[in-house]
Amino acid sequence: MRPWHIAVILTLILEAMPACAGDLSIELAPDAKNPPAPQMGDNLSFHSIIRSNGPTAVDGVIAWLSLVQIDPGREQPVDLEDWSAHKAVTAAALHTGETLEADWPLRLIQAGTYRVVVSAASRDGATLATSPFADFIVREKPVVESRRVLPVAFTIPVLIGMAMLWRR
Amino acid sequence: MPILLIAGKETGELLLSVRGLAWLLVLSVVLSGFGFLLVSDTELSLLDNAQVVYDMAGIITALGCLLALIVGVDTIAGERERGSLVPLLLTTVSRDGILLGKLGGVAVAWVVIYALAAPYLWAVGSTGQNLADGLLGLALLGTPVVLGFGFLGMGLGACLGTARTGLLIGLIVLVLAASPLLLGPSLRQSAVGRAFDAINPFSAAVNAYDAMIIDSLPIAAQVVNLAVTAAWFALALWFARASFHRIAR
Repeated sequence: MRPWHIAVILTLILEAMPACAGDLSIELAPDAKNPPAPQMGDNLSFHSIIRSNGPTAVDGVIAWLSLVQIDPGREQPVDLEDWSAHKAVTAAALHTGETLEADWPLRLIQAGTYRVVVSAASRDGATLATSPFADFIVREKPVVESRRVLPVAFTIPVLIGMAMLWRR
Repeated sequence: MPILLIAGKETGELLLSVRGLAWLLVLSVVLSGFGFLLVSDTELSLLDNAQVVYDMAGIITALGCLLALIVGVDTIAGERERGSLVPLLLTTVSRDGILLGKLGGVAVAWVVIYALAAPYLWAVGSTGQNLADGLLGLALLGTPVVLGFGFLGMGLGACLGTARTGLLIGLIVLVLAASPLLLGPSLRQSAVGRAFDAINPFSAAVNAYDAMIIDSLPIAAQVVNLAVTAAWFALALWFARASFHRIAR
């Protein structure tokens, strides 16, 4: 087995493992009903499970979704305002072994390559817990379709011009 | 019915003559130009699609108000300058009947603008996002605003000496009222901006378009905006009526 084989296997194992920080671990997975090749206007959903692994209860848990665009030259965090109305979930306390499940719907607004991640913080925790990334690509969809606009934009002035000629 | 006869005459001058059709051609060219501008822009997102329908609804309302104002001024002051108003006043038709008949021309022109704009709205609202709401908002809120400007034009034409002065004042009022189309949201969030928005019928209409088309709120949530536009219509009607009744034969 060559060294790069080991690197690839390690990467796959790490990506498959739930991320852990402090006493919380988070799993994140796309919904099975998500379209395989989503385009602008489609809706996606992601499912997260936050689990308390510590010996004591974790108080004041808040989890939220973050979205970043990772296209070369357009790397940026995305304001979720237009993408999702569901931005955070909370729990007063998560006892040992307890889970907090949440669905995160997204409406795809802009074409590009994106990563979503769920983060969780607690009232007393010193570190931030994050899920693995879930990546997706949004295909371009013309916003204003020229095949609809051009016939209208050409035809109506021509028809009115013809009416003027006919009235003359 | 003399009122229908007057309305028919006004409509005929606006829509059936070659010179009358010219404004319709210019209007369609403006809307087509806006459509071409949108087609050539590849950076617009889905959110901007709703924004496009909202923008076009605002433009159509502004164009309707402009037409109603000009026709309103011309139908009184212009006819007086051309010497055709006095014979009309000497007929047995009541002043209110004449006013209603003349408004009929403005109303038919607005219906034609609306019908002309519908395919453009359909064409640019390609995803169908709240397109029906846009058309509904334009009908329910745009109509009283536009007809109100028609009454304002008639009132100015009746109480001022010349059509030119009436047009100047009316256009200044229209530019001020339509400023929400030009001003950014930050300026409108100031205390003065909010106060202006609260009484401006044009603001009420575009704010309702914004709420219905972009934010997907129902028409039932636009009661205040509907009330502002209805109040504007009633106020402009009162002004036109009072001014027209004061015209001496």
